[in-house]
Amino acid sequence: MVLDNLHSTRPVIFLGQVLITTIDAIAGRARFRLQDLGRVLADCSARAVGIVTVVNVLVGAILAFVGSVQLVKFGAGIYVADLVGIAVAREMAAIITAVVMAGRTGAAFAAELATMQSNEEIDALEVLGLDPMAFLVLPRVLALLLMMPLLFVYACVTGLLGGMVVAAGMLSIAPAAYLDRTVIALDWSHLGLGFSKSFVFGVLIALVGCYCGLYAERNAAGVGVATTNSVVASIVGIIVLDAVFAVCANALGV
Amino acid sequence: MTVLAVDALEMRFAQRLIQTDVSFRVDRGTIFAIMGGSGCGKSTLLRAVVGLLRPARGRVSYDGVDYWAAAPAVQGELRAGIGMLFQSAALWSSMTLLENICLPLEQLTRLDPGQRLARAREVLDWVELSDFAEFRPADLSGGMKKRAGLARAIATRPALLFLDEPSAGLDPISSKRLDDLILEIRRTTNCAIVFVSHELPSLFAIADDGIFLDAESKAPIGHGSPRALLERSTHPIVHAFLTRTEVPPPSAARAGAVPSAPVMQPDSAAP
Repeated sequence: MVLDNLHSTRPVIFLGQVLITTIDAIAGRARFRLQDLGRVLADCSARAVGIVTVVNVLVGAILAFVGSVQLVKFGAGIYVADLVGIAVAREMAAIITAVVMAGRTGAAFAAELATMQSNEEIDALEVLGLDPMAFLVLPRVLALLLMMPLLFVYACVTGLLGGMVVAAGMLSIAPAAYLDRTVIALDWSHLGLGFSKSFVFGVLIALVGCYCGLYAERNAAGVGVATTNSVVASIVGIIVLDAVFAVCANALGV
Repeated sequence: MTVLAVDALEMRFAQRLIQTDVSFRVDRGTIFAIMGGSGCGKSTLLRAVVGLLRPARGRVSYDGVDYWAAAPAVQGELRAGIGMLFQSAALWSSMTLLENICLPLEQLTRLDPGQRLARAREVLDWVELSDFAEFRPADLSGGMKKRAGLARAIATRPALLFLDEPSAGLDPISSKRLDDLILEIRRTTNCAIVFVSHELPSLFAIADDGIFLDAESKAPIGHGSPRALLERSTHPIVHAFLTRTEVPPPSAARAGAVPSAPVMQPDSAAP
């Protein structure tokens, strides 16, 4: 990448290049291989389902455990469904799924691109007149932009199931009653908030992973550093953006 | 006809001077060598010439168009007219050899899928890798990777071909085979070839013209073919490099002394 050693402005230049390439792609001037998009889509969807299931079921169950211990003291055990439903839909499903994807897919993006950088594969793209932004970054951003909301919906379902199992086991709440209570507690604003977070987190993870990979040092240590930086920066970014969402949601009364 | 002109180029890396005042011309059908010892900036010069590293000063012109002053779209068009073999071959590891060659053809030419496939098979046949079309780069030896990289570089029929240390790390037989292939490419396509090397047999076997970079003075200290440099140059470093003798001590170098007992004669390296 020709960036004239302007390291401090790299992230801004990178974001600008991604935006320009996205506009070019929409206008049909930039292209990428559909095979690459398909490969990345499969990697960050079907292959991520297992870990997303396990983590979100457990998070739903933990919320239900903690909630039920407190709520039964007031004879309000049934409201554990409200607690789990709202917490999962507004916060936990989006955040936990994003953290899992940052450690899994974002790190994989960083490692793959950093390895390509050290093997001169990205230089080869550039010299042959092929834009690395269009070929490498766009398919990855698009894949996470498309798949994170789907994973969020799936994470919500699995989180609620985890809570339901604990509620049924600890408080003997019938699944039908739990679901009924969840439907009453949840409204579209809760789901909409989590859903919109998932888009933003998806783009963040993809951009951070690609950025760390593309500007990695050209050696084996560079690959490790890129992967670590990608995970750390993504997780910090997710938490910061979630705080921004919380403030905005509070100000808007959502 | 001059296809590449480099004028007063200066390269820096993080403010550190690598080379300055580098100028040369490459005509169509010429094989031009960038020579010099390890760490003198040969590959950095190549990166500046092909558009991967912005030079601190100077011009790089393709067919008279100043590359670094051109608009990005024009730069893209100019790059489409060049091919490059990287030192590590730089084959895309997630693709098969056939896909590696078809990708530039798909992006840079108007060939239909059938023609692209035929062209890719033709160049693979040329580099004797037809049987490995469906292999991934990780499954190939070093020499095979270099030949596959060469096949990818020539698939689009570029007017200018850049080779970064093509025979580095290869055994003498594979190295000779690659040199023959380069000569065959020049004979068949009449393209200009710029290559970076410090492999004496390759330099003497294929280079028509060249430039010699010096790590100490950070500037070129010789222009001409390796054979001409050996015959004409009085610079002790050039002479020591081309004859594989020791560089004389600084006092002797200042006096212009040239070692008189070459270990390797150029004729023994020529084909």
